[in-house]
Amino acid sequence: MEDRSEVVRMKGITKVYPNGIAANQSVDFSVRKGEIHALMGENGAGKSTLMKILFGLEQPEEGEIVINGEKVVLSSPNAAIAKGIGMVHQHFMLVPSLTVAENIVLGMEPRKRGMFLDYARAVSLTEEYAERYNLQVDPHAKVMDIPVGMKQKVEILKALVRGAQILILDEPTAVLTTQETTELFRELIHFKEQGHTIIFISHKLKEIKQITDRLTIMRAGKSMGVFDTADVSEQDISRLMVGRDVVLKVEKEPPSPTDTVLSVTDVHYQNEYGKQMLGGVSFSVRKGEILGIAGVEGNGQRELVEMLFDMNQPDSGAIEVEGRPVAGKGQAYIRGLGVSHIPEDRMLYGVAAAGTIEENLIADRFQKPRFNKGPLFKMDAIHEESDRLIEDYQILCRSGGQQVKMLSGGNIQKVVVAREFSCAPKLIIADQPTRGIDVGATEFIRRKLVELSREGAAVLLVSADLNEIIELSDSLIVFYGGEIVAYFEDTSTLTDLEMGEYMLGLKRQSPEEIRRVIHA
Amino acid sequence: MRKSLKFEIIRGAAAILVALAVAMVFIFIISDVPFQALYNLIVAPFTRMRYIWIILERMIPIIFTGLATCVMFNANQFNLAGEGAVFFGGLVAGACAIYLRLPPVLHAAACIAAAMLVCGLTMLIPALLKTKLGASEMVSSLMLNYILLQLGVYILSYHLADRTQGATMSHKFLDTAIIPTLVPKTNLSWGIVIALVATVLVSIFMYRTRWGYAIRMIGINQSFSKYSGMKVAATVVMCQVVGGMLAGMGGAVEILGYYDRFKWRQLPGYGWDGITIAILAKNNPIFIPLAAFFMAYLRRGCDLMQLNTDVPAEMLSIIQAVIFLFFAAEQFLSKYRHKLVVRDAKDEIAGKAAEKEAKGVEA
Repeated sequence: MEDRSEVVRMKGITKVYPNGIAANQSVDFSVRKGEIHALMGENGAGKSTLMKILFGLEQPEEGEIVINGEKVVLSSPNAAIAKGIGMVHQHFMLVPSLTVAENIVLGMEPRKRGMFLDYARAVSLTEEYAERYNLQVDPHAKVMDIPVGMKQKVEILKALVRGAQILILDEPTAVLTTQETTELFRELIHFKEQGHTIIFISHKLKEIKQITDRLTIMRAGKSMGVFDTADVSEQDISRLMVGRDVVLKVEKEPPSPTDTVLSVTDVHYQNEYGKQMLGGVSFSVRKGEILGIAGVEGNGQRELVEMLFDMNQPDSGAIEVEGRPVAGKGQAYIRGLGVSHIPEDRMLYGVAAAGTIEENLIADRFQKPRFNKGPLFKMDAIHEESDRLIEDYQILCRSGGQQVKMLSGGNIQKVVVAREFSCAPKLIIADQPTRGIDVGATEFIRRKLVELSREGAAVLLVSADLNEIIELSDSLIVFYGGEIVAYFEDTSTLTDLEMGEYMLGLKRQSPEEIRRVIHA
Repeated sequence: MRKSLKFEIIRGAAAILVALAVAMVFIFIISDVPFQALYNLIVAPFTRMRYIWIILERMIPIIFTGLATCVMFNANQFNLAGEGAVFFGGLVAGACAIYLRLPPVLHAAACIAAAMLVCGLTMLIPALLKTKLGASEMVSSLMLNYILLQLGVYILSYHLADRTQGATMSHKFLDTAIIPTLVPKTNLSWGIVIALVATVLVSIFMYRTRWGYAIRMIGINQSFSKYSGMKVAATVVMCQVVGGMLAGMGGAVEILGYYDRFKWRQLPGYGWDGITIAILAKNNPIFIPLAAFFMAYLRRGCDLMQLNTDVPAEMLSIIQAVIFLFFAAEQFLSKYRHKLVVRDAKDEIAGKAAEKEAKGVEA
């Protein structure tokens, strides 16, 4: 049965995390030399864990790893690199203040006189590899100044310079535009022709069909089998991944927007490095509509959202909720105006992970009279509230007393959503509301969001997921370079290709067209 | 939840055993009568009723400082001025015990209240320096201890001192201010009851009120708390003021229950013990009396060892240091914990599989 051409063979891998989640249960996985092999599965299926084990970042409880016919123990990434394995993480591991060349040689710096960094050599090394693999990067540019697509190239180069023959890419297209994705695929095929092996983690069906030779599907920590890509249909894959057909269409009635709730007027902001992040942004969101903000990450969306919740303040311009300015007013005041917020970074802002579910659910309302009697909490009322929310929002847990960090990502997000949606919000700022969570939870959250908007809430949706933003938004603005470059009043006819062109800055609407998003 | 508690208890017991083992090594090296020394350290404190009263009596001040530390550490405020606050609280209570004229009980209560007020206000210094100027409360509170000490010694020497006495000590407290003894013919005062009541109240404060909730949430994740609309700066100040009040109360109860004059001219060390106790109790006020009992027992054991054998009482510092080290070390026994977790997960998976099979049979 031993297949000669197999470069990686993982047998019976079991991994249990300290929070008790068995991320891998007796998983078998193998990859042939010179193929592009997809590792597919929902979030939380155990793909990333399996690859972290292969890259030496995690140690399995059971199982063995064979590379090029030799049984190995990968105790650290260094051990994996020595075996010719490279990994490009979903979240880039780069030092923003260093240049591209410095990042590429970090940890293996060419030296001058045994002590000093030989920068010229680092640059020539970068250029040599960039040339050989046809990956265009600027060796002298600082990483914080380059676009996401180029950062990814830097990550790939880092792995190649270290001698990677087997390249693991963890959801490489998640942050890329359509055009950048096409470019990445061209590069990957080029690697393959040069004899490299690529493991491609993804859950995007179209991409997988387009580029891979074989695929392994994982579900709930187990392998569902290996297939030749040509032999399975997209429907088959999706059924194997989630055990049912994915319905990502959200039913929604046409919007009937009324009064303006949020108005943003000519907001400018420079970040701490003096880079202009927002250059005169104006728009408004009305009751009963979902306005989407699309854009490649790093084009000012994050800065804007921070300001809406007074986590940061604009250099100039005005942000008003129902006519009341919010800058400098503090989060309690803004919440008092009826604003709720699903933060992008849920572990930092969304939850107190070591606290219980109940404690997390009451964080914005624990001071309300209905939960207090004199100096004491009304524990009954609090338990009741928490139990009701757990039920309404289908949070899977043993009890409200369970620690939030013991939950899966999707359920943690449901805790956040349950709190933020249940306070009768007038304005909901949803920043990447379904990033990194399973299909079931995603569907649930999207449906709730539409429901609330149809009941009269104003919703501002920020998402890097093109599908989501086109599906959910009633109308949509595109951010590029800290400015609004396009406004689409109706998203139903919009394609991701068209959006991509605006997101990449290839196209831009006229100021008159964009100005329509301000509803006076 | 219960499993992790079980693990914590096992881990605590293991840390204590390692500490005693280390102490044993030293005792065997330095002592001519090692077995007698060990007997005095471990068993002797329980051999006489009188020793047990002493243990209980020594628990009183450190329960208060333990509670004070608990409240502050729960909000991640590493304020170390509990030591100075105990000292200064004792001084304020002593002064009130000399100069106020009030009926019994009320007088003692007034002395304690004054100590709490002064020490609570004193804690505004490190707290406001932190929230207004961003100064580390750890550094400023540490320095505050010595300011309080020197200020206290000055007040004692120039304003409270009884010149008729050979050593520097205050005038005698009025009888109305003294906290009476609980057990006749011992030094154990009603202070132990006050300490236990305080423990219950602090537990309720931390787990059943909006202020305690805010303190704990800020300690777990300050960004989250701010984002949720909590008043972070006010809570950070408040928890340190409450901590100061508790420590000041401890000083007052100790002075009025154990002494008849104020005669501390050095920091008493109860604040430091309070930190150790809070760490042993994992910052949960309910466990503070237990941890305080353990510390007082160890202290008594070391005192008896010094009294009856050739091993000095400073052995306590070694034992304390080792326990401290292993308690603070997150990784200690983490492999064992991981094994427990793996076993549980496997059981759960097996259970689910069995359930499915059972369902399959039914179908």
